[in-house]
Amino acid sequence: MATTQTTTDAREIVEPSSEDTEFVFFSGKGGVGKSTVSCATATWLADNDYNTLLVTTDPAPNLSDIFGEEIGHEVTAIDDIDNLSAIEIDPDEAAEEYRQETIEPMRELLDDEQIQAVEEQLNSPCVEEIAAFDNFVDFMDSPEYDVVVFDTAPTGHTIRLMELPSDWNAELEKGGSTCIGPAASMEERKKDYERAIDTLQDSEKTSFAFVGKPEDSSVDEIQRSASDLGELGVKSQLLIINGYLPESVCEDPFFEGKREDEQAVIERAKSELDADAMATYPLQPGEIAGLDLLADVGGVLYDGDDATVDVGSATNVEEEESVDFDSLADPDAIAEKLQSVDGETRYLFFTGKGGVGKSTIAATSATKLAEAGYETLVVTTDPAAHLEDIFGEPVGHEPTSVSQVNLDAARIDQEKALEEYRQQVLDHVTEMYENKEDSEIDVDAAIASVEEELESPCAEEMAALEKFVAYFEEDGYDIVVFDTAPTGHTLRLLELPSDWKGFMDLGSLTKGAAPAKGDQYDNVIEIMQNPDKSSFAFVMYPEYTPMMEAHRAAEDLKDQVGIETAFVVANYLLPEEYGDNAFFANRRAQQQQYLGEIKDRFETPMMLAPLRQDEPIGLNELSAFGDEVTGLGALDEQVTEVPQQ
Amino acid sequence: MTRIQLYEEAMCCSTGVCGPNPDDELVELSAALDQLEDEFEGAEISRANMQHNIDEFLNTEEIYDLVEANGPEILPITTVDGDIVAKEEYLSYDELAAELRGNQPQEA
Repeated sequence: MATTQTTTDAREIVEPSSEDTEFVFFSGKGGVGKSTVSCATATWLADNDYNTLLVTTDPAPNLSDIFGEEIGHEVTAIDDIDNLSAIEIDPDEAAEEYRQETIEPMRELLDDEQIQAVEEQLNSPCVEEIAAFDNFVDFMDSPEYDVVVFDTAPTGHTIRLMELPSDWNAELEKGGSTCIGPAASMEERKKDYERAIDTLQDSEKTSFAFVGKPEDSSVDEIQRSASDLGELGVKSQLLIINGYLPESVCEDPFFEGKREDEQAVIERAKSELDADAMATYPLQPGEIAGLDLLADVGGVLYDGDDATVDVGSATNVEEEESVDFDSLADPDAIAEKLQSVDGETRYLFFTGKGGVGKSTIAATSATKLAEAGYETLVVTTDPAAHLEDIFGEPVGHEPTSVSQVNLDAARIDQEKALEEYRQQVLDHVTEMYENKEDSEIDVDAAIASVEEELESPCAEEMAALEKFVAYFEEDGYDIVVFDTAPTGHTLRLLELPSDWKGFMDLGSLTKGAAPAKGDQYDNVIEIMQNPDKSSFAFVMYPEYTPMMEAHRAAEDLKDQVGIETAFVVANYLLPEEYGDNAFFANRRAQQQQYLGEIKDRFETPMMLAPLRQDEPIGLNELSAFGDEVTGLGALDEQVTEVPQQ
Repeated sequence: MTRIQLYEEAMCCSTGVCGPNPDDELVELSAALDQLEDEFEGAEISRANMQHNIDEFLNTEEIYDLVEANGPEILPITTVDGDIVAKEEYLSYDELAAELRGNQPQEA
């Protein structure tokens, strides 16, 4: 039985403390069960007679999967639960609505072609950010509900959302038009934003909860995010660790060891994270979906009940259907997609939801490629970078060697990137004025106002893009491995070049000036679309939600940017030699079922990577781990042939 | 008092500091307008771009007709006290200053 005591303090935190609406935010890396916990919390509140609204701003929402009922962009009453409604705020749809509202009045004046040009221009990442946030703010004023539960976007993104209102207010006080909208119309919303910030910072009205897995990286991530939020005046009150291995099912050294590690992480979280309350919920033999399991989660978290782990029941185990791993894995097909063709630089993108282990896979692939003789650079664009933890060496903004021959690593540091971008713009503007000596313009004042303008949130987005694109121009590497940001954000980053290209074509059309960066972006897009130069790999673990999210993201990538997925990585496969009982048989059967589904859905080669007792840390462990991953062991023989061509 | 009004195409931000490269023309224009407002007490300068201030276009007949007939290529348009003084291009600081100076004594 579960030994970890859950505290019922959690109950006080999520229950409304006054007549005012209580707002409960769940934050945490994707894949930790944040949606499950949010749904369980909302269900528990509704069952306790609170009129409850559940809101998700996740770019890849899965409330519908959990409740087994379609929920969309409108507030929907949940059929089988009194007092509970839910809404999924789809950022794409929200952005489209915002665009259409903006464009509608222009239809009277402009023809279709012109409207299309404006529409293209409105395809900026900032517009999407505002639109999604606008919707989010709308629910901060919901007197008709006792509680509003937000199943928020992954941590890094959440924080940026939180930061925006402060920046906006600063922007508005300066007056004038900004790239986030006309000052006049922003002025109207200013009060709403201010109230939203006040509410977020008011711990009587707002509860902030983090959900994590019993893994060091997950707890580290929470620690970082919680401290960022703390700086914004938002205190994190509740910590939920989800998915620990139940004691009763760990019967061999592998899983006993894993369980011990997990318990140590839980202890660490308890002592290091300054949360008012903490609760835990065990791993189930199957997935948490349906009202019974949701009720179990709620009972454990908020009523101090013992968790029900019904070992044999969840998935229907069909042993004879067990998947033949050898037929799924094709090492040569994977190796081919990893290596450079005709001496051209190969770009590898490992993408997927947070928590699927893509940093480890990226670092392992990079290590093995470097070992095989390729000059390799591994770059992370993840705001919460794990490369440093994985290599056990400092990884900075500029490519630096990580003590492995042929291997460099770099991390896109948002603040530094922003500083570089600012400097670049200021230099450009200064130079422009230097070439106009006869101007009566007060150059210092002009530059000062540009400097002020660079404080906008959009500048940050641009800075990140600049940096991303810049890595395509790093010379001297055979292979550049990107350990990209979580799916939604990754997509946006990847879409950026196309969007801005369109934006700039439009600019040059009307102003007759050739955009300096246009060719560079053309080049980047072309590289990303060329299967001989770029490989996009979706990393996931074989469970329903991660698979669906990866698949949606892959489809978007194809539809919006014209990029085909090169291969998929199925990570955390349970080893056959351990966990010889019904619980793990169930989990294994479930994994196999999803491996088959992944194969069918993606129709690409698969890279299979086993669950390890410990995450590999340091070059030796990465290298050893690489030998167990499909395709990475096949590199050595091939590399001796390739350079001769 | 002299009122300078600019009608501009749809744009993300009028200061030009947006996107991968700053837009030199817009940066210069913004600086010029700031400075003119400081230097000429009676000057009232405002900008309308199609994305954010579509009403200004719909409610000003002359501008509406021009854009309808020529498309947004006719923009930017600059008016001084309602009279169109420039089309398809921005005026420089010197030109705008001259307009303001010329308008200071009362004109018909």
